[in-house]
Amino acid sequence: MSVGNPRSSMRIFRQPNHPMLVPIPIACFVGVLLTDLTYWWSADMMWANFSAWLVTVGVIVGVVAAIFGLIDFLGSRLIRAQSPAWPHAIGNVVVLILATLNMFVHSRDAWTSVVPWGVALSAATVLILLFTVRMGQAMVYRHGVRVAE
Amino acid sequence: MKSALKLLSMALVAALALTFAAYADEQFDIQSQIGPNPVLPDIQQYLFPPMRLATVVGWKNGETPTVAAGLKIEALATGLQHPRSLYTLPNGDVLVVESKAPPPQPITRPKDIVMRFIEKMVTSGGDTGPSNRITLLRYDPAGDKPPTRSVFLDHLHSPFGVALVGNNLYVANTDAIVRYPYHTGDQTISASGVTLTPLPGGPIDHHWTKSLTASRDGSLLYVGVGSNSNITENGIEAEENRAAIWEVDRASGRWRIFASGLRNPNGLTFEPESGALWTVVNERDELGPNLVPDYMTSVKDGGFYGWPYSYYGRHLDPRVKPQRPDLVDKAIVPDYALSSHVAPLGLVFDTVDGLPQKYRGGAFVGEHGSWDRPVFNGYRVVFVPFSGGRPNGKAEDVVTDFLDANGKARGRPVGLAIDKTGALLIADDVGNTVWRVSSASQ
Repeated sequence: MSVGNPRSSMRIFRQPNHPMLVPIPIACFVGVLLTDLTYWWSADMMWANFSAWLVTVGVIVGVVAAIFGLIDFLGSRLIRAQSPAWPHAIGNVVVLILATLNMFVHSRDAWTSVVPWGVALSAATVLILLFTVRMGQAMVYRHGVRVAE
Repeated sequence: MKSALKLLSMALVAALALTFAAYADEQFDIQSQIGPNPVLPDIQQYLFPPMRLATVVGWKNGETPTVAAGLKIEALATGLQHPRSLYTLPNGDVLVVESKAPPPQPITRPKDIVMRFIEKMVTSGGDTGPSNRITLLRYDPAGDKPPTRSVFLDHLHSPFGVALVGNNLYVANTDAIVRYPYHTGDQTISASGVTLTPLPGGPIDHHWTKSLTASRDGSLLYVGVGSNSNITENGIEAEENRAAIWEVDRASGRWRIFASGLRNPNGLTFEPESGALWTVVNERDELGPNLVPDYMTSVKDGGFYGWPYSYYGRHLDPRVKPQRPDLVDKAIVPDYALSSHVAPLGLVFDTVDGLPQKYRGGAFVGEHGSWDRPVFNGYRVVFVPFSGGRPNGKAEDVVTDFLDANGKARGRPVGLAIDKTGALLIADDVGNTVWRVSSASQ
């Protein structure tokens, strides 16, 4: 191929930053679903507190990752041309909006910080993540986005 | 993808609708929540609860609160350090309890960081120096001279309640009732105190003010122990022996729970006609601008008043799991609602001749003021008429304008007392002032 792999515009320390950060919000948002379910089952506030931290950290790091991702997306016509790029971007914006709503729900006190809306939003976030993560993986492992040659 | 976007826009619309619902509540008639049968609207829960905070500006020279017709007001003492409660000694000396909150509770979730910031904004009157002490004021009500001041007790641990029985003076610190020897005319106490009964204090000490009063015969003390959370968010185990009024045997220090389910009971005092114990209670937050009304109530031995499981009798709070239907079944409906989020912290009955006759036998309530609603409520002292030992009529404003025209706090009323001449004294904790309200005709 005469054209190389699509390159990441957002690089610090010569590493593409978006893929460096995304595991954190993904782990946090999956974690919230687990700790929410545990709180639902146990009514032990410790688990609701875990959820509140996880969703808050997930949103904060997720926003940074999204900005880096957006820079890559806007900075490279080649990336935009990838078929998974658009659903990946739009899906993750939805994930971040749902998680932000979830963060506010989790700032309530006690039971209704989780049941029913908290745990429902946590589940919805993870469901959409399953799809967007798959799109993201496809871009890297099948289309070689940001992969050095 | 389209359906996800649709769902998302629906969620946003719902969030906006909730926000506007909060502003529609400005139309709610606050008067409908003052008296024995308050109107209780439906529960509202928010993504971000509507708040309005009164930043502190303090009193400028010559400024005073406004009093009702027939009364006059003057600053008895200024420049105090967060005065929160008052106690009149038999010889007419007045004790001003200056108190600061204990160290903040450990941060257990992100919200604690936000709440700590909010609290700082509304309770700090700038740089207040050493507090946690009791200052004694001695004054001649007929004369014009300012009172002489002395440090009566120092280095206390977030004190609030004071009660004198004979030559024993009891101070309710946030973590213990401590006894000191007192003799009429003392202006300072040098003896070290003796702990009578430890009280629930830290490391979590959410509602930390321990109100104190003695039974008429002096054999028993009653102390208010507030809850350790808004609504069990620190875990139910943190609430052991809290949200209750304790009855303490003065001779031995032994105690039992006299009444429970009282989220944050303050202003403990005996109604003069019936001899019943009364208290003002701060109810729960974040169920809407008009839920739950704070109240004053007589307190029955063994009575349960709902917190955390229910409010105003059997209205269940959905935030509490597991529920306790056995307790909710016997929850007592409080006597008299003061309206929502006014934060009553002071209660005193008018038992000494001095103010106009209409106040005699009724109750004054110090309302520290709201934060958890879009329109301010409280920030005033109200009067509730009593007859036959029961409230009898609508609460009326007695001392107002603690907020200025821009909604900044010049002061906030807390504890109240009646002095030896029958004047009403008000501790103003962010205005750092003790106000004295007397009859205008004197």
